[in-house]
Parts: sequence; structure tokens; C-alpha cells
Amino acid sequence: MRDDPSVVALVTRAAGSDEGAWHELVERYAPLVWSICVRYRLGGADTEDVGQTVWLGLVEQLNSEKLREPAALPGWLATTTQRECLRVLRARGRYEVFGAVPEDGAAARDADTTAADATVIEEEILLAERNALLRAALAALPESDQRLIALLLRDPPLSYAEIGELLGMPPGSIGPTRQRCLRRLSRSPLLAGLSDLAPPETGAGPGGGAPRAGPPGSPGTGLSRTGMSGTGAEAVRVTVKGGRPRE
Amino acid sequence: MNNSPDHGPLLAALRAAVEARAAVPAAFIEAGRGAYAWHDIDAELARLSYDSLLDAGQAAAMRSEDAPVRALTFQSASFSIEVEVTEDALFGQLIPPRPGTAELQTRSGPSVTVRIDDVGCFTFGPRPDGPFRLRCRTGAQAEVRTAWVDVTRGDDPR
Repeated sequence: MRDDPSVVALVTRAAGSDEGAWHELVERYAPLVWSICVRYRLGGADTEDVGQTVWLGLVEQLNSEKLREPAALPGWLATTTQRECLRVLRARGRYEVFGAVPEDGAAARDADTTAADATVIEEEILLAERNALLRAALAALPESDQRLIALLLRDPPLSYAEIGELLGMPPGSIGPTRQRCLRRLSRSPLLAGLSDLAPPETGAGPGGGAPRAGPPGSPGTGLSRTGMSGTGAEAVRVTVKGGRPRE
Repeated sequence: MNNSPDHGPLLAALRAAVEARAAVPAAFIEAGRGAYAWHDIDAELARLSYDSLLDAGQAAAMRSEDAPVRALTFQSASFSIEVEVTEDALFGQLIPPRPGTAELQTRSGPSVTVRIDDVGCFTFGPRPDGPFRLRCRTGAQAEVRTAWVDVTRGDDPR
């Protein structure tokens, strides 16, 4: 997680023999690995193959110095996942789905990340970090608040009467409780970096003026570029430097 | 209806975050957890010292219909592991023979553990369908593991 020392702590503990720390790393970052496979439109078996290769590779890297920086892990995971996706696609002759087919396999091997590939990585890292922060903030709420929010997220939406029934609360109390939960959540220090989710001004009326997150498919990350120095995105820029913008 | 204006974006973001996690199948998470199984094991590494595919005569034999067997030898300082992979199974023998357990790790599922019998033999079936490695444990005193090999591609995937 961005500038979150607990990622380093988790890596350090997992490098020891703390299996729980490893499970937490997998829990936190599996969506990142998964979503990159989805972006490359890998099938089920290929995605399993890529995932296994990435996690086994990470196990071998746990003691490495390069994972001792907070942002190094998501960058490493994303670029490793991407490399494995490209390997699979190359084996299938399907790389043209995403970018130019390298003309000389050997020479192009390290330079096969095109500008489009680099963009995939950056977007997916930012989105995965954002989502991991949101899930962490949610998990830090009292259990009753988490239950309420889970019901509020149901699709199709439940009425307050239905939610009240499920929680054993009077329907009239759901609205105020909801406000309190979300206010508490929006003030979570974990979400401080997500500018688009800044807590509404105290006493703000129902104006509806807050900008929404980006439309589906074009992830608005809400993470400002200025907050990214020394983080995953930078690590990524280093690792994909062989790529050439196509325009 | 439930999206009160002031927290609409937060709820939408939460929904996206929760859905992103829910989209990941349990088996994918499980495989990731399982990758830790071989972390930091203090096992001697046995390197591939013989591969029938690299032997010209055997390679020719392999192309013939009736001999679909791939033979591999892994060698460490104190053990060698003889492996034969047929269409159905992987047969192994630890030399010198020691009883114990053999563990097969692939990239597409959890490790499988079988017994090594008194003459050092063990069997995994069906055969691994992709890269794999083996770990043999013979009591507390000795443990040996192989490098990754892939009998479906004929080269070392690493």
C-alpha cells in the first residue's frame, strides 16, 4: 500500500516464516495480479499459470533487498504479472491484441512493453492500491458498520426497510446510521490520499456536487501524481524503460 | 435511492473495491497462499544432470509412437533422483534408497505428497501437465529438491 510501512513489515515477516503475513500479502495483492490477467484477456488456465508463476517468484524474492521499499512490491508484482501475460500471449501468437509483435524475439524480449503495456501497469497499480486502501479502511470499521455497508452495497439496492429487517434495526435509524458510518469511513487516515473521496464539508447539505469516480472501464484512481514519488509507479517506470512510446 | 448525495462517490468507490476483490476466484487466492509451501526450505538442490530428450538416440525413440517416456536424472551431493514421465504418471526413485515422502509442486495447483517406499520409489499420477519440481524428505536428516523442469516443453522454463 502506498507509503504504508506495513507492506514492508508483511514482506519482512513473510521472509521469515510467518505464513499469516504471506496470506495477507496474497489477499491484498491477488486482485492486482488477477486484474492484469483480465486486461490481457487471458483464459482461466493461463491465468492460473501466470498467478502461480508470479507467487512462486515472489516467494523466492522475499529476502531480496529490492522489496524493502514500501512501493516496490506492487510494482514488482505488476511487472512480473505483465511479463508472464506477455509470455503466454506470445506462446499463443496473440500478442498483437495489445501491441506490436516483437520482430526479433531475442532482441525484443526486454523491450516488448509498449506504451500501451506501460499504461496498463500504471493504471492497474493505482487502481489496485486504491481498492486495497478502501477495503482496508472498511475492514477497520466496527463489525456492525461493516455489515451495514455491505448491505448498502447490494445490487440491486435494498430498501431501508429491508436493511432494517436484516439488521434488526428500525428503518428510520438506517439513514442516520449510514451517514455516521460513511462519515467515519471517509475520515479514515487510510483514505487520506484519495483526493476524490475527501470527506464532505461538515454540515454540507444534499448538494450532490461531489465529483464521481471515473466511469466504468476508465479507472479514476484519485491518487495525485505528486503523491507518488518513490512509489510503485516510479519503480514501474524504471522497469519498463525499454518500451518506446509509439507516437 | 440509498445513495445520499454527499457519500455517493465513496459508496461507488467501495463497491468497486469490494467487487474487484470478489472477482478473484477462491482457487486463485488458494494457489497464491500455497506458493508459500516451499518457502525457505533448507533442502539441498538437485540439478538436472541427464535428460533423455537431450540424448539424440532417446529423442528419436521418443518420436516413435511406442516409447513416450521421458527420463530425467537430478543429482545433488548426497542423492540422485531418477525420474521417468510417461503419459499417465511420474515415477521416481531416490538413490541411495531411503523411505520418506516426495512432494510434487506444479504451477497450477496445490502440492501433492506421496510416500517414498523402502526401495526409494514413488509415483505421482496423473503426470504433471507443465512445469514441476520435486522435494524428497527422508526423515529429519535429509531433504533434497529439484530445480523446475517442464516435460511438456522440453526446456527449463526458468
